[in-house]
Amino acid sequence: MNQSTKPMLLSAAGVAAALLVWQLMAVGKVAGEALPPVTTVFAALFTTLGTGAFWSSLGATVGISLLALALSAVAGVVLGILIGSFDPVRYATLAVLEFLKPVPPIVILPLAVLVFGPTQEMSLFLVAFGCLLPIVMQTVDGVHGTDPVARDTARSYGLKSPEILFRVVLPSAMPYIGTAMRVAAPAALVITVVAGLLGGGPGLGQSIYQAQSGGDYASLYALVIVLGVLGLIFQGATRAAERRALHWHQSFREVVH
Amino acid sequence: MQTTNAPDASVPDKNVPPQSRKKAMAQQPDSPEQSVPRLNVVHLAKTYGSGENAKTVIEDLTFSVEAGEVVCIVGPSGVGKTTLLKCLAGLHPVSSGSAAIDGRTISGPPPEMALVFQDYNRSLMPWLTVRKNLVLPLRHMRLPAAEVKERCDSALEAVGLTHAEHQYPWQLSGGMQQRVAIARALAYRPEILIMDEPFASVDAQTRFDLEDLCLKIRRDFNMTILVVTHDIDEAVYLADRVVVLGSKPARVLKVIDIDLPAPRDQITTRSLPDFAHQRTDVLSLIKRPA
Repeated sequence: MNQSTKPMLLSAAGVAAALLVWQLMAVGKVAGEALPPVTTVFAALFTTLGTGAFWSSLGATVGISLLALALSAVAGVVLGILIGSFDPVRYATLAVLEFLKPVPPIVILPLAVLVFGPTQEMSLFLVAFGCLLPIVMQTVDGVHGTDPVARDTARSYGLKSPEILFRVVLPSAMPYIGTAMRVAAPAALVITVVAGLLGGGPGLGQSIYQAQSGGDYASLYALVIVLGVLGLIFQGATRAAERRALHWHQSFREVVH
Repeated sequence: MQTTNAPDASVPDKNVPPQSRKKAMAQQPDSPEQSVPRLNVVHLAKTYGSGENAKTVIEDLTFSVEAGEVVCIVGPSGVGKTTLLKCLAGLHPVSSGSAAIDGRTISGPPPEMALVFQDYNRSLMPWLTVRKNLVLPLRHMRLPAAEVKERCDSALEAVGLTHAEHQYPWQLSGGMQQRVAIARALAYRPEILIMDEPFASVDAQTRFDLEDLCLKIRRDFNMTILVVTHDIDEAVYLADRVVVLGSKPARVLKVIDIDLPAPRDQITTRSLPDFAHQRTDVLSLIKRPA
């Protein structure tokens, strides 16, 4: 068996086993009506896929996630460079950032709803809040962790600070920023859905809430499956982008010698 | 060796091309007549910190390097050799005394100087190919594209790495990576090449090759080379003069002229009786309790 097909076959077997367990539990009425059989859910999924409402929800979810991700990436990297480049600023902000980091975005959801209402802006704000800090912190670490030998090399060759920033510091911080983006991308999706589910923002979260309140469990699970697949795509896309941008880094190198 | 006590030797060399006189050097008044060493270190001292935590790494160093010379600095490890190089390269300010190139005091990275570090894998940028690593220091000089290409081509050829220009440094062996670092310095076209333990992280055979490359560079480019090393044999093999440092804090114990015939050869030079004598001279200075 080929080296690369074997893990794929095993993954497929895992998925099939999970679906089988689900089906057995549903048929055995373990959770009553709250857990419909796989077959019913997939039927509902195909019905859902045929509606325009579903696609506009999907578009809203993906759009909000990506836009908020892009905004927090730009803002996070700029802030991270500023904080990481100046030690006094770094010390002054460290405690505040460390304090804010573990605060889950859901905590400020009521506030966001109060200010923005159940809108797209509310979702954007919440997602950006959740993604910004990890990106800032990672960028700070990356900037601060730039090898002093690399800096000295650049300085000894007469490079000035802005050039050192763009040609030495930023590239060496890229692996840190890449890690932050890989973690932030699925998180952005999750927060968008939560903002829809609990805050009434547009997108799949709202659709799930509607399916749940209408007792339409088959549609609810169909949407959860869609979200799962979407999460895989986000994860795969960021991983591929990271691999491409950081092909030179230890963790992605293809050793030739 | 001129171990002058004059606090300042301030005659700009008339042979220095104008483009190398840049703002990193503080211009000093002319006083012709006497010739100025290419690199002149006078009563240089370096102290980190202040008050009770002050740590004097370099007490008082005075030595000079003439144009076209290879001078090696040897001394026990931790003596402050790297600190000295950072002061000479304009990366650290000196605490007192001065270092000057052609009579002009070094106050920032001098444009006529290139530095080769021991840690090639930290000083080469892993995200750039070999050729792009060579181009990096040339960007801010705003040279015509043809000249950048010509400089890189000839530098790569000088170190024998033309075939590796599109590879990344980490795809190459340690010795090849250090040759890339040397090529980057050559493409910068410095008048003075400063190397900090340049061959300490490569295997013995590669080390011999790189030592010979260093001598070839001096011959072909008429470059002034200052090498810091802890390897006494290497110092004697490479140098016209060896500056022996004592610790701590660093000071010059002695400057030894090495009069081994040129061209030097790894086998014949190292088997000369004079080679053995001179390395014994250096070794006994370092071993002797200071």
